[in-house]
Amino acid sequence: MNRKWILPTLYILFLMLPIYGLLSMSFKTTNEILGGFSFFPQQFTLENYTKIFTDPTWYNGYINSLIYVVINTFISVSVALPAAYAFSRYRFLGDKHLFFWLLTNRMAPPAVFALPFFQLYSSIELFDTHIAVALAHCLFNIPLAVWILEGFMSGIPKELDETAYLDGYSFWRFFIRIFIPTIAAGIGVAMFFCFMYSWVELLLAQTLTSVEAKPIAATMTRTASTSGYELGLLAAAGSLTIIPGAFVIYFVRNYIAKGFALGRV
Amino acid sequence: MSRIEFKDVRHAYPPPAGQAPVYALKEISQVWEDGGAYALLGPSGCGKTTLLNIISGLLTPSEGSILFDGRDVTRQPTAARHIAQVFQFPVVYDTMTVFDNLAFPLRNRGMPEARATERVTEIAEMLDLSDRLHQRAAGLTADGKQKISLGRGLVREEVNAILFDEPLTVIDPHLKWQLRSKLKELHQQIGVTMIYVTHDQVEALTFADQVVVMYDGGVVQVGTPVELFNRPKHTFVGYFIGSPGMNVLPCKLENGQPVFANNLLSSGYPADADLSGKLEIGIRPEFVGFGDDGIPVEIQKVEDLGRYQVVTVKHEAEQIKMLVGEDEAIPSESPMIQFDPENLHIYHDDWVVETRNA
Repeated sequence: MNRKWILPTLYILFLMLPIYGLLSMSFKTTNEILGGFSFFPQQFTLENYTKIFTDPTWYNGYINSLIYVVINTFISVSVALPAAYAFSRYRFLGDKHLFFWLLTNRMAPPAVFALPFFQLYSSIELFDTHIAVALAHCLFNIPLAVWILEGFMSGIPKELDETAYLDGYSFWRFFIRIFIPTIAAGIGVAMFFCFMYSWVELLLAQTLTSVEAKPIAATMTRTASTSGYELGLLAAAGSLTIIPGAFVIYFVRNYIAKGFALGRV
Repeated sequence: MSRIEFKDVRHAYPPPAGQAPVYALKEISQVWEDGGAYALLGPSGCGKTTLLNIISGLLTPSEGSILFDGRDVTRQPTAARHIAQVFQFPVVYDTMTVFDNLAFPLRNRGMPEARATERVTEIAEMLDLSDRLHQRAAGLTADGKQKISLGRGLVREEVNAILFDEPLTVIDPHLKWQLRSKLKELHQQIGVTMIYVTHDQVEALTFADQVVVMYDGGVVQVGTPVELFNRPKHTFVGYFIGSPGMNVLPCKLENGQPVFANNLLSSGYPADADLSGKLEIGIRPEFVGFGDDGIPVEIQKVEDLGRYQVVTVKHEAEQIKMLVGEDEAIPSESPMIQFDPENLHIYHDDWVVETRNA
């Protein structure tokens, strides 16, 4: 008998367990959750989801998060593209140090930056705006995107650039028409990681917003409201939070493997 | 098409911080005549590729200028120079089909689509790519891709020169031979200047009318294959061209005559007055033979290469290689060798010395 499937199956079950717990909780009423453990919802309800999709304080959280995540991904990748190109193609004074220094930005916990950012954005009246969070997340995402893209770009021989010049293309025409399509996979991977980090980051997003740009993760931190505990609602909100990430990873799954092979993911 | 001229070109790559620049190209002044077939021959790292990149404008030389038909193009960008260049490793635009790859340089320069199609079909025919024209270029094998690279260089009609940077490295031996003859044929047809970089002397000598031998960032000799063989100007040329290379042996002067190991060699007298420094004689293995008298040697090794034999002999500390015909006997007792005086050259600090007859 072939039993090779047993171990991976157990592992996957183990991984899925908390997600299942979350999903099943999201279809229960709060009373049932507090009442005791049950594997399946006893009184199946969609009320939690209905509440999220109708109450602006909930669904605006998703909209706010999506807005700043998309802005951030766009800024990070468009800034990182030329930067990564420079690191992969040119030698300049201190290039290696600078490249490493960029990465060290990722080594500090976000909490370190929360206070200075709060003060800075308050003073220039960017507090509680989407762009504030998007810019703050650039601190982590631009170095990450540069790092990923540099790996993909260095995999493209310099002769491609040179051939395009010989064939009559200017630098920018080459960069946009040939180079970007050639490293599309790398751009996809970089975008995915920017999206992910920005989507799950809570501390900066929470510190820099209050009402107008409040992200979903911050909304979810209020476990109790005037109507008591709302655990079912929280579980539903959590389940919905997983969806965008799962959706994005589906599109870049093949490229990510390539990124791993390059050692850059 | 044009005549390309280098005027005192020198190039150094930016050195690591705090170090003096090292010149990858030492002063070069050289003319590439319009329509010539040149081979740039030299060992790896001697500056061949740097030189090509300076012609095509991918590099701007640190010093000196480049003229196309007398027009200074030193600061012109690559796209404006109308140079085609084929690199050692295949470069294809992965996102395009084979056809689009080949048509790319033509479309960029605004050639009408009908004419471009005609050109591409012609070139594809020549390179055996016709049946794959509408495939994606990304799926091809390395030699298929290299053929595209070659094709993209050859497809353009209005080019000043086509530069090949060891283009056949990744290609199968039998196809290599075929493509090389195709290139040669094409050169005769369209008469465009071609510069072919290689470190393989057979490739250089079969392709080119003029071979430019480079060594350590400088041009040491320019000449026809025959000239390079018969009269190497520098010991490196003698050593690098020919198989096996020229024998270079230390010598002294006695009464103005070269002497190798107490044997007066009958050759002309060196014309130069000042010959202090390293003095050597160079003789190709083809011009060393056994004789009844001459230099006593010890036979070390005989390699039979089919049509001839390579014999390695030793006189005191010096090894000498000689080529002996297949049927020729190799003397077993006290062998003596003789140098052909007509083909004996004297080198002073590695450069050949002019001789006059006594």
